[in-house]
Amino acid sequence: MPDNGGFTVAAYIAAVVIYLCYAIYLVRGGRAKG
Amino acid sequence: MTPIEALERARRSSAVWIGVGLLLMAAVYVRALVFTPVEAVQGPAQKIFYIHVPSAWVAFLAFGILGVTSAVYLFLKDPRLDLFAASTAEVGMVFTTAVLVTGPIWGKPIWGTWWTWDARLTLTLFLWFIVLAYLVLRTAIHDPAQRARYSAVLGILGALLVPFIYVSVYLFRTMHPMPVVLRPGGPSLPGAMLATLLFSFAVFTLFFVALLWHRYALARLADVRARADAERADA
Amino acid sequence: MVDLLRAAWAIAAKDVLLEFRSRTAFVSALVFTALVLAIFNFARDPTAVSAVDLAPGILWITFTFAAMLGLNRAFGLERENRALDGLLLSPVSRTAIYLGKVLANLVFVGSVEAIALPLFALFFNVPILPVLGPLVLVIALATVGFVAVGTLMSSMAVNTRLAELMLPVLLLPFLVPPVTSAVQMTARLFAGRPFSEVSAWLRLLVGYDIIFVAACILLFESTIEE
Repeated sequence: MPDNGGFTVAAYIAAVVIYLCYAIYLVRGGRAKG
Repeated sequence: MTPIEALERARRSSAVWIGVGLLLMAAVYVRALVFTPVEAVQGPAQKIFYIHVPSAWVAFLAFGILGVTSAVYLFLKDPRLDLFAASTAEVGMVFTTAVLVTGPIWGKPIWGTWWTWDARLTLTLFLWFIVLAYLVLRTAIHDPAQRARYSAVLGILGALLVPFIYVSVYLFRTMHPMPVVLRPGGPSLPGAMLATLLFSFAVFTLFFVALLWHRYALARLADVRARADAERADA
Repeated sequence: MVDLLRAAWAIAAKDVLLEFRSRTAFVSALVFTALVLAIFNFARDPTAVSAVDLAPGILWITFTFAAMLGLNRAFGLERENRALDGLLLSPVSRTAIYLGKVLANLVFVGSVEAIALPLFALFFNVPILPVLGPLVLVIALATVGFVAVGTLMSSMAVNTRLAELMLPVLLLPFLVPPVTSAVQMTARLFAGRPFSEVSAWLRLLVGYDIIFVAACILLFESTIEE
Protein backbone atom coordinates (compact mmCIF):
# COMPACT_ATOMS: atom_id res chain seq x y z
CA MET A 1 0.00 0.00 0.00
CA PRO A 2 1.46 3.41 -0.94
CA ASP A 3 2.47 5.76 1.85
CA ASN A 4 0.50 8.83 0.86
CA GLY A 5 -1.33 9.68 4.05
CA GLY A 6 0.33 13.08 4.11
CA PHE A 7 -1.76 14.14 1.13
CA THR A 8 -4.92 13.08 2.92
CA VAL A 9 -4.03 15.18 5.91
CA ALA A 10 -3.21 18.16 3.72
CA ALA A 11 -6.47 17.92 1.80
CA TYR A 12 -8.62 17.45 4.89
CA ILE A 13 -7.00 20.40 6.61
CA ALA A 14 -7.24 22.60 3.52
CA ALA A 15 -10.93 21.84 3.13
CA VAL A 16 -11.84 22.49 6.73
CA VAL A 17 -9.84 25.72 6.74
CA ILE A 18 -11.73 26.96 3.69
CA TYR A 19 -15.13 26.07 5.10
CA LEU A 20 -14.43 27.22 8.63
CA CYS A 21 -12.98 30.56 7.53
CA TYR A 22 -16.00 31.25 5.36
CA ALA A 23 -18.44 30.24 8.09
CA ILE A 24 -16.71 32.48 10.60
CA TYR A 25 -16.50 35.36 8.12
CA LEU A 26 -20.19 35.04 7.40
CA VAL A 27 -21.43 34.82 10.95
CA ARG A 28 -19.03 37.44 12.35
CA GLY A 29 -19.70 39.79 9.46
CA GLY A 30 -23.41 39.53 9.95
CA ARG A 31 -23.08 40.28 13.65
CA ALA A 32 -20.77 43.23 13.03
CA LYS A 33 -23.24 44.95 10.73
CA GLY A 34 -25.71 44.42 13.56
CA MET B 1 -43.14 40.52 13.50
CA THR B 2 -41.60 43.17 11.34
CA PRO B 3 -39.62 42.07 8.30
CA ILE B 4 -36.35 42.98 10.01
CA GLU B 5 -37.26 40.93 13.07
CA ALA B 6 -38.10 37.95 10.89
CA LEU B 7 -34.82 38.27 9.03
CA GLU B 8 -32.86 38.58 12.26
CA ARG B 9 -34.57 35.43 13.48
CA ALA B 10 -33.52 33.67 10.27
CA ARG B 11 -29.99 34.94 10.67
CA ARG B 12 -29.68 33.55 14.17
CA SER B 13 -31.32 30.22 13.36
CA SER B 14 -29.18 29.68 10.31
CA ALA B 15 -26.06 30.54 12.31
CA VAL B 16 -26.98 27.74 14.68
CA TRP B 17 -27.41 25.37 11.77
CA ILE B 18 -24.02 26.41 10.40
CA GLY B 19 -22.59 25.32 13.74
CA VAL B 20 -24.46 22.05 13.47
CA GLY B 21 -23.10 21.59 9.97
CA LEU B 22 -19.54 22.13 11.15
CA LEU B 23 -19.97 19.60 13.94
CA LEU B 24 -21.39 17.07 11.51
CA MET B 25 -18.48 17.75 9.19
CA ALA B 26 -16.17 16.88 12.08
CA ALA B 27 -18.13 13.64 12.38
CA VAL B 28 -17.59 12.97 8.69
CA TYR B 29 -13.89 13.57 9.16
CA VAL B 30 -13.69 11.12 12.03
CA ARG B 31 -15.71 8.51 10.22
CA ALA B 32 -13.73 8.84 6.99
CA LEU B 33 -10.31 8.93 8.58
CA VAL B 34 -10.72 6.45 11.41
CA PHE B 35 -13.70 4.19 10.76
CA THR B 36 -13.55 3.69 7.01
CA PRO B 37 -11.24 1.05 5.59
CA VAL B 38 -8.21 2.14 3.61
CA GLU B 39 -8.38 1.33 -0.07
CA ALA B 40 -5.77 -1.28 -0.88
CA VAL B 41 -4.46 -0.03 -4.21
CA GLN B 42 -4.52 3.72 -3.74
CA GLY B 43 -3.74 3.91 -0.07
CA PRO B 44 -4.88 6.52 2.42
CA ALA B 45 -4.97 9.29 -0.19
CA GLN B 46 -8.14 7.76 -1.59
CA LYS B 47 -9.95 9.16 1.45
CA ILE B 48 -9.75 12.65 0.00
CA PHE B 49 -12.57 11.39 -2.18
CA TYR B 50 -15.00 11.65 0.76
CA ILE B 51 -14.44 15.40 0.94
CA HIS B 52 -13.76 16.21 -2.69
CA VAL B 53 -16.76 14.54 -4.31
CA PRO B 54 -19.50 15.90 -2.00
CA SER B 55 -17.96 19.37 -2.35
CA ALA B 56 -18.16 19.01 -6.12
CA TRP B 57 -21.78 17.93 -5.90
CA VAL B 58 -22.63 21.04 -3.87
CA ALA B 59 -20.64 23.28 -6.22
CA PHE B 60 -22.59 22.07 -9.23
CA LEU B 61 -25.87 22.17 -7.32
CA ALA B 62 -25.21 25.80 -6.38
CA PHE B 63 -24.42 26.65 -9.96
CA GLY B 64 -27.63 25.02 -11.13
CA ILE B 65 -29.62 27.00 -8.59
CA LEU B 66 -27.86 30.14 -9.77
CA GLY B 67 -28.86 29.50 -13.38
CA VAL B 68 -32.49 28.73 -12.59
CA THR B 69 -32.89 31.63 -10.17
CA SER B 70 -31.38 34.01 -12.72
CA ALA B 71 -33.87 32.90 -15.36
CA VAL B 72 -36.81 33.20 -12.96
CA TYR B 73 -35.66 36.65 -11.92
CA LEU B 74 -35.84 37.94 -15.48
CA PHE B 75 -39.44 36.78 -15.62
CA LEU B 76 -40.65 37.87 -12.21
CA LYS B 77 -38.31 40.78 -11.52
CA ASP B 78 -38.52 40.15 -7.78
CA PRO B 79 -35.36 41.65 -6.23
CA ARG B 80 -35.33 38.92 -3.58
CA LEU B 81 -34.59 36.41 -6.33
CA ASP B 82 -31.54 38.47 -7.26
CA LEU B 83 -30.35 38.49 -3.66
CA PHE B 84 -30.88 34.74 -3.49
CA ALA B 85 -28.92 34.20 -6.69
CA ALA B 86 -26.05 36.32 -5.43
CA SER B 87 -26.00 34.42 -2.14
CA THR B 88 -25.92 31.13 -4.01
CA ALA B 89 -23.04 32.35 -6.13
CA GLU B 90 -20.97 33.37 -3.13
CA VAL B 91 -21.56 30.22 -1.12
CA GLY B 92 -21.11 28.07 -4.23
CA MET B 93 -17.79 29.79 -4.83
CA VAL B 94 -16.50 28.55 -1.48
CA PHE B 95 -17.37 24.94 -2.29
CA THR B 96 -15.96 25.24 -5.81
CA THR B 97 -12.70 26.53 -4.37
CA ALA B 98 -12.56 23.56 -2.02
CA VAL B 99 -13.00 21.22 -5.00
CA LEU B 100 -10.17 22.91 -6.90
CA VAL B 101 -7.89 22.74 -3.86
CA THR B 102 -8.60 19.14 -2.83
CA GLY B 103 -8.60 17.91 -6.43
CA PRO B 104 -4.90 18.46 -7.14
CA ILE B 105 -3.93 17.27 -3.65
CA TRP B 106 -5.74 14.05 -4.50
CA GLY B 107 -4.42 13.96 -8.05
CA LYS B 108 -0.75 14.13 -7.18
CA PRO B 109 -0.48 10.84 -5.27
CA ILE B 110 -3.09 9.01 -7.37
CA TRP B 111 -2.35 10.19 -10.91
CA GLY B 112 1.20 11.43 -10.40
CA THR B 113 0.34 14.92 -11.53
CA TRP B 114 -1.06 17.95 -9.70
CA TRP B 115 -3.36 18.97 -12.51
CA THR B 116 -5.09 17.16 -15.34
CA TRP B 117 -7.42 18.64 -17.91
CA ASP B 118 -10.01 15.95 -17.43
CA ALA B 119 -13.68 16.77 -17.87
CA ARG B 120 -14.66 17.18 -14.24
CA LEU B 121 -11.73 19.25 -13.06
CA THR B 122 -11.78 21.45 -16.15
CA LEU B 123 -15.51 22.00 -15.86
CA THR B 124 -15.09 22.89 -12.20
CA LEU B 125 -12.34 25.34 -13.09
CA PHE B 126 -14.59 27.12 -15.57
CA LEU B 127 -17.47 27.10 -13.14
CA TRP B 128 -15.11 28.90 -10.78
CA PHE B 129 -14.24 31.47 -13.46
CA ILE B 130 -17.87 32.08 -14.35
CA VAL B 131 -18.96 32.54 -10.74
CA LEU B 132 -15.97 34.81 -10.17
CA ALA B 133 -16.99 36.90 -13.18
CA TYR B 134 -20.52 37.02 -11.76
CA LEU B 135 -19.31 38.26 -8.38
CA VAL B 136 -16.89 40.76 -9.92
CA LEU B 137 -19.61 42.10 -12.19
CA ARG B 138 -21.86 42.64 -9.20
CA THR B 139 -19.23 44.71 -7.43
CA ALA B 140 -18.81 46.84 -10.54
CA ILE B 141 -22.46 47.89 -10.91
CA HIS B 142 -23.98 50.20 -8.34
CA ASP B 143 -27.60 50.56 -9.36
CA PRO B 144 -29.40 47.59 -7.76
CA ALA B 145 -31.87 47.07 -10.59
CA GLN B 146 -29.17 47.16 -13.25
CA ARG B 147 -26.96 44.90 -11.17
CA ALA B 148 -29.79 42.40 -10.79
CA ARG B 149 -30.49 42.36 -14.53
CA TYR B 150 -26.86 42.04 -15.56
CA SER B 151 -26.23 39.31 -13.00
CA ALA B 152 -29.24 37.38 -14.24
CA VAL B 153 -28.04 37.62 -17.84
CA LEU B 154 -24.61 36.33 -16.87
CA GLY B 155 -26.12 33.60 -14.72
CA ILE B 156 -28.24 32.30 -17.56
CA LEU B 157 -25.46 32.45 -20.14
CA GLY B 158 -23.10 30.75 -17.70
CA ALA B 159 -25.54 27.89 -17.16
CA LEU B 160 -25.90 27.51 -20.93
CA LEU B 161 -22.14 27.39 -21.33
CA VAL B 162 -21.59 24.41 -19.04
CA PRO B 163 -22.69 21.65 -21.43
CA PHE B 164 -20.60 23.19 -24.22
CA ILE B 165 -17.49 23.20 -22.09
CA TYR B 166 -18.17 19.61 -21.14
CA VAL B 167 -18.41 18.59 -24.80
CA SER B 168 -15.31 20.61 -25.68
CA VAL B 169 -13.28 18.86 -23.03
CA TYR B 170 -14.70 15.45 -23.97
CA LEU B 171 -13.87 15.91 -27.65
CA PHE B 172 -10.46 17.28 -26.76
CA ARG B 173 -9.66 14.25 -24.67
CA THR B 174 -10.82 11.69 -27.21
CA MET B 175 -8.57 13.34 -29.76
CA HIS B 176 -5.65 13.53 -27.32
CA PRO B 177 -5.95 10.41 -25.19
CA MET B 178 -4.76 11.01 -21.68
CA PRO B 179 -2.77 8.34 -19.81
CA VAL B 180 -5.01 5.67 -18.36
CA VAL B 181 -6.19 6.87 -15.01
CA LEU B 182 -7.19 4.85 -12.00
CA ARG B 183 -10.87 5.20 -11.31
CA PRO B 184 -10.92 6.04 -7.65
CA GLY B 185 -14.04 4.86 -5.96
CA GLY B 186 -14.93 2.88 -9.12
CA PRO B 187 -18.31 1.56 -10.11
CA SER B 188 -19.01 -0.30 -6.91
CA LEU B 189 -17.98 0.85 -3.49
CA PRO B 190 -17.87 -1.65 -0.66
CA GLY B 191 -20.52 -1.03 2.00
CA ALA B 192 -18.57 0.90 4.61
CA MET B 193 -17.08 3.25 2.03
CA LEU B 194 -20.42 3.86 0.38
CA ALA B 195 -21.98 4.65 3.73
CA THR B 196 -19.26 7.18 4.50
CA LEU B 197 -19.70 8.79 1.11
CA LEU B 198 -23.47 9.06 1.49
CA PHE B 199 -23.11 10.44 4.99
CA SER B 200 -20.67 13.02 3.67
CA PHE B 201 -23.06 13.97 0.84
CA ALA B 202 -25.84 14.56 3.35
CA VAL B 203 -23.67 16.63 5.68
CA PHE B 204 -22.21 18.79 2.92
CA THR B 205 -25.65 19.45 1.51
CA LEU B 206 -26.96 20.46 4.91
CA PHE B 207 -23.94 22.68 5.48
CA PHE B 208 -24.54 24.34 2.10
CA VAL B 209 -28.19 24.99 2.86
CA ALA B 210 -27.34 26.50 6.25
CA LEU B 211 -24.68 28.78 4.75
CA LEU B 212 -27.00 29.81 1.92
CA TRP B 213 -29.88 30.54 4.27
CA HIS B 214 -27.62 32.69 6.44
CA ARG B 215 -26.05 34.51 3.51
CA TYR B 216 -29.47 35.21 2.04
CA ALA B 217 -30.73 36.55 5.37
CA LEU B 218 -27.72 38.87 5.52
CA ALA B 219 -28.36 40.05 1.97
CA ARG B 220 -32.02 40.72 2.71
CA LEU B 221 -31.13 42.60 5.90
CA ALA B 222 -28.62 44.77 4.10
CA ASP B 223 -31.15 45.45 1.36
CA VAL B 224 -33.96 46.35 3.78
CA ARG B 225 -31.66 48.66 5.71
CA ALA B 226 -30.39 50.30 2.53
CA ARG B 227 -33.94 51.02 1.41
CA ALA B 228 -34.84 52.41 4.84
CA ASP B 229 -31.80 54.69 4.71
CA ALA B 230 -32.70 55.83 1.23
CA GLU B 231 -36.23 56.66 2.33
CA ARG B 232 -34.96 58.57 5.33
CA ALA B 233 -32.57 60.50 3.10
CA ASP B 234 -35.41 61.44 0.78
CA ALA B 235 -37.70 62.55 3.60
CA MET C 1 -38.98 40.79 -39.91
CA VAL C 2 -37.85 42.81 -42.91
CA ASP C 3 -38.16 45.99 -40.86
CA LEU C 4 -36.03 44.41 -38.20
CA LEU C 5 -33.28 43.57 -40.65
CA ARG C 6 -33.48 46.91 -42.30
CA ALA C 7 -33.19 48.70 -38.95
CA ALA C 8 -30.28 46.48 -37.96
CA TRP C 9 -28.60 47.23 -41.26
CA ALA C 10 -29.06 50.95 -40.74
CA ILE C 11 -27.53 50.81 -37.28
CA ALA C 12 -24.65 48.70 -38.54
CA ALA C 13 -24.07 51.05 -41.45
CA LYS C 14 -23.97 54.03 -39.12
CA ASP C 15 -21.42 52.34 -36.88
CA VAL C 16 -19.26 51.19 -39.75
CA LEU C 17 -19.35 54.64 -41.32
CA LEU C 18 -18.37 56.28 -38.05
CA GLU C 19 -15.54 53.85 -37.63
CA PHE C 20 -14.42 54.27 -41.19
CA ARG C 21 -14.21 58.02 -40.79
CA SER C 22 -11.92 57.94 -37.77
CA ARG C 23 -10.32 54.54 -38.36
CA THR C 24 -8.55 54.77 -35.01
CA ALA C 25 -9.83 51.53 -33.56
CA PHE C 26 -9.35 49.65 -36.79
CA VAL C 27 -5.79 50.77 -37.30
CA SER C 28 -4.93 50.10 -33.67
CA ALA C 29 -6.36 46.61 -33.90
CA LEU C 30 -4.37 45.95 -37.05
CA VAL C 31 -1.12 47.18 -35.58
CA PHE C 32 -1.78 45.15 -32.44
CA THR C 33 -2.40 42.04 -34.52
CA ALA C 34 0.73 42.46 -36.57
CA LEU C 35 2.83 43.03 -33.48
CA VAL C 36 1.39 40.04 -31.66
CA LEU C 37 2.07 37.79 -34.64
CA ALA C 38 5.61 39.08 -34.85
CA ILE C 39 6.24 38.65 -31.14
CA PHE C 40 4.92 35.10 -31.24
CA ASN C 41 7.78 34.32 -33.55
CA PHE C 42 10.17 34.98 -30.71
CA ALA C 43 8.00 33.26 -28.15
CA ARG C 44 8.97 29.84 -29.39
CA ASP C 45 12.05 27.74 -29.91
CA PRO C 46 12.28 27.24 -33.68
CA THR C 47 14.55 24.25 -33.35
CA ALA C 48 12.21 22.38 -31.03
CA VAL C 49 8.80 22.90 -32.57
CA SER C 50 7.81 23.52 -36.15
CA ALA C 51 5.75 26.58 -36.93
CA VAL C 52 2.90 24.52 -38.30
CA ASP C 53 2.38 22.82 -34.93
CA LEU C 54 1.94 26.05 -33.05
CA ALA C 55 0.33 28.00 -35.85
CA PRO C 56 -3.37 27.28 -35.21
CA GLY C 57 -3.08 28.31 -31.55
CA ILE C 58 -1.17 31.46 -32.44
CA LEU C 59 -3.69 32.41 -35.09
CA TRP C 60 -6.67 32.06 -32.80
CA ILE C 61 -5.14 33.73 -29.78
CA THR C 62 -4.30 36.66 -32.03
CA PHE C 63 -7.81 36.79 -33.50
CA THR C 64 -9.39 36.54 -30.08
CA PHE C 65 -7.44 39.37 -28.51
CA ALA C 66 -7.81 41.61 -31.53
CA ALA C 67 -11.56 40.99 -31.42
CA MET C 68 -11.73 41.91 -27.75
CA LEU C 69 -10.01 45.20 -28.51
CA GLY C 70 -12.70 46.02 -31.02
CA LEU C 71 -15.73 44.83 -29.10
CA ASN C 72 -15.89 47.55 -26.50
CA ARG C 73 -15.89 50.06 -29.24
CA ALA C 74 -19.46 49.22 -30.20
CA PHE C 75 -21.12 50.55 -27.07
CA GLY C 76 -18.31 52.86 -26.15
CA LEU C 77 -19.36 55.00 -29.10
CA GLU C 78 -22.84 55.44 -27.70
CA ARG C 79 -21.74 56.26 -24.21
CA GLU C 80 -20.18 59.48 -25.33
CA ASN C 81 -22.92 62.09 -25.65
CA ARG C 82 -25.38 59.55 -24.26
CA ALA C 83 -26.29 58.66 -27.78
CA LEU C 84 -27.71 55.36 -26.60
CA ASP C 85 -30.69 57.21 -25.15
CA GLY C 86 -31.41 58.67 -28.55
CA LEU C 87 -31.21 55.25 -30.10
CA LEU C 88 -33.55 53.79 -27.50
CA LEU C 89 -36.09 56.57 -27.98
CA SER C 90 -36.28 55.88 -31.67
CA PRO C 91 -38.86 53.34 -32.85
CA VAL C 92 -36.20 50.74 -33.40
CA SER C 93 -36.56 47.42 -31.59
CA ARG C 94 -33.92 46.35 -29.10
CA THR C 95 -33.26 43.27 -31.18
CA ALA C 96 -32.48 45.45 -34.17
CA ILE C 97 -30.01 47.42 -32.07
CA TYR C 98 -28.30 44.22 -30.98
CA LEU C 99 -28.17 42.76 -34.48
CA GLY C 100 -26.92 46.04 -35.85
CA LYS C 101 -24.13 46.15 -33.29
CA VAL C 102 -23.21 42.54 -33.97
CA LEU C 103 -23.11 43.22 -37.68
CA ALA C 104 -20.89 46.27 -37.22
CA ASN C 105 -18.60 44.26 -34.95
CA LEU C 106 -18.48 41.45 -37.50
CA VAL C 107 -17.40 43.91 -40.16
CA PHE C 108 -14.73 45.27 -37.84
CA VAL C 109 -13.40 41.94 -36.62
CA GLY C 110 -13.77 40.36 -40.05
CA SER C 111 -11.71 43.10 -41.64
CA VAL C 112 -8.95 42.68 -39.08
CA GLU C 113 -9.00 38.92 -39.64
CA ALA C 114 -8.91 39.35 -43.41
CA ILE C 115 -5.71 41.34 -43.15
CA ALA C 116 -4.21 39.27 -40.35
CA LEU C 117 -4.63 35.96 -42.12
CA PRO C 118 -2.26 36.58 -45.05
CA LEU C 119 0.17 38.21 -42.62
CA PHE C 120 0.03 35.10 -40.48
CA ALA C 121 0.59 32.87 -43.50
CA LEU C 122 3.60 34.98 -44.39
CA PHE C 123 5.20 35.11 -40.94
CA PHE C 124 4.74 31.44 -40.15
CA ASN C 125 5.11 30.02 -43.62
CA VAL C 126 1.82 28.18 -43.44
CA PRO C 127 0.24 27.07 -46.72
CA ILE C 128 -3.29 28.38 -46.38
CA LEU C 129 -4.27 28.67 -50.04
CA PRO C 130 -5.02 24.96 -50.58
CA VAL C 131 -7.46 25.01 -47.65
CA LEU C 132 -8.64 28.58 -47.96
CA GLY C 133 -12.33 27.77 -48.49
CA PRO C 134 -12.85 25.56 -45.42
CA LEU C 135 -10.54 27.81 -43.42
CA VAL C 136 -12.63 30.88 -44.15
CA LEU C 137 -15.75 28.93 -43.18
CA VAL C 138 -14.23 27.95 -39.85
CA ILE C 139 -13.09 31.50 -39.20
CA ALA C 140 -16.52 32.86 -40.07
CA LEU C 141 -18.39 30.43 -37.83
CA ALA C 142 -16.12 30.95 -34.84
CA THR C 143 -16.13 34.72 -35.30
CA VAL C 144 -19.93 34.84 -35.38
CA GLY C 145 -19.97 32.96 -32.09
CA PHE C 146 -17.56 35.10 -30.19
CA VAL C 147 -18.77 38.39 -31.65
CA ALA C 148 -22.37 37.58 -30.74
CA VAL C 149 -21.51 36.82 -27.13
CA GLY C 150 -18.86 39.53 -27.02
CA THR C 151 -21.30 42.20 -28.18
CA LEU C 152 -23.70 41.28 -25.41
CA MET C 153 -20.95 41.22 -22.80
CA SER C 154 -19.63 44.57 -23.95
CA SER C 155 -23.08 46.10 -23.58
CA MET C 156 -22.73 45.27 -19.90
CA ALA C 157 -19.00 45.80 -19.48
CA VAL C 158 -19.18 49.28 -20.93
CA ASN C 159 -21.23 50.37 -17.92
CA THR C 160 -18.54 49.40 -15.45
CA ARG C 161 -15.53 51.46 -14.47
CA LEU C 162 -12.84 49.15 -15.82
CA ALA C 163 -14.59 48.15 -19.02
CA GLU C 164 -11.42 47.02 -20.81
CA LEU C 165 -10.67 44.61 -17.98
CA MET C 166 -14.27 43.60 -17.35
CA LEU C 167 -14.88 42.44 -20.89
CA PRO C 168 -12.21 39.69 -20.95
CA VAL C 169 -13.24 38.56 -17.46
CA LEU C 170 -16.82 38.16 -18.63
CA LEU C 171 -16.11 36.88 -22.11
CA LEU C 172 -13.15 34.52 -21.98
CA PRO C 173 -14.90 31.51 -20.42
CA PHE C 174 -17.46 31.76 -23.22
CA LEU C 175 -14.73 31.60 -25.84
CA VAL C 176 -13.56 28.12 -24.85
CA PRO C 177 -15.96 26.14 -27.04
CA PRO C 178 -15.67 28.23 -30.24
CA VAL C 179 -11.93 28.84 -29.98
CA THR C 180 -11.16 25.20 -29.12
CA SER C 181 -13.23 24.02 -32.06
CA ALA C 182 -11.64 26.58 -34.35
CA VAL C 183 -8.09 25.66 -33.32
CA GLN C 184 -8.72 21.94 -33.71
CA MET C 185 -10.32 22.37 -37.12
CA THR C 186 -7.62 24.79 -38.26
CA ALA C 187 -4.93 22.34 -37.16
CA ARG C 188 -6.57 19.51 -39.09
CA LEU C 189 -6.89 21.70 -42.16
CA PHE C 190 -3.23 22.74 -42.07
CA ALA C 191 -2.20 19.13 -41.62
CA GLY C 192 -4.25 18.12 -44.63
CA ARG C 193 -6.40 15.74 -42.65
CA PRO C 194 -9.77 14.63 -44.02
CA PHE C 195 -12.74 16.69 -42.98
CA SER C 196 -14.59 13.80 -41.39
CA GLU C 197 -12.16 13.96 -38.48
CA VAL C 198 -13.39 17.37 -37.50
CA SER C 199 -17.12 16.89 -38.02
CA ALA C 200 -17.70 16.62 -34.27
CA TRP C 201 -15.96 19.94 -33.68
CA LEU C 202 -17.95 21.50 -36.49
CA ARG C 203 -21.19 20.35 -34.93
CA LEU C 204 -20.09 21.76 -31.59
CA LEU C 205 -19.27 25.12 -33.17
CA VAL C 206 -22.50 25.35 -35.14
CA GLY C 207 -24.51 24.28 -32.10
CA TYR C 208 -22.76 26.91 -30.01
CA ASP C 209 -23.49 29.60 -32.59
CA ILE C 210 -27.17 28.75 -32.81
CA ILE C 211 -27.76 28.51 -29.07
CA PHE C 212 -25.76 31.55 -28.09
CA VAL C 213 -26.92 33.87 -30.86
CA ALA C 214 -30.51 33.00 -29.91
CA ALA C 215 -29.82 33.44 -26.19
CA CYS C 216 -28.06 36.76 -26.72
CA ILE C 217 -30.89 38.10 -28.88
CA LEU C 218 -33.34 37.22 -26.13
CA LEU C 219 -31.19 38.55 -23.30
CA PHE C 220 -29.97 41.77 -24.91
CA GLU C 221 -33.13 43.60 -23.95
CA SER C 222 -32.28 43.05 -20.28
CA THR C 223 -28.95 44.76 -20.62
CA ILE C 224 -30.22 48.10 -21.83
CA GLU C 225 -33.48 48.62 -20.05
CA GLU C 226 -33.52 52.13 -18.75
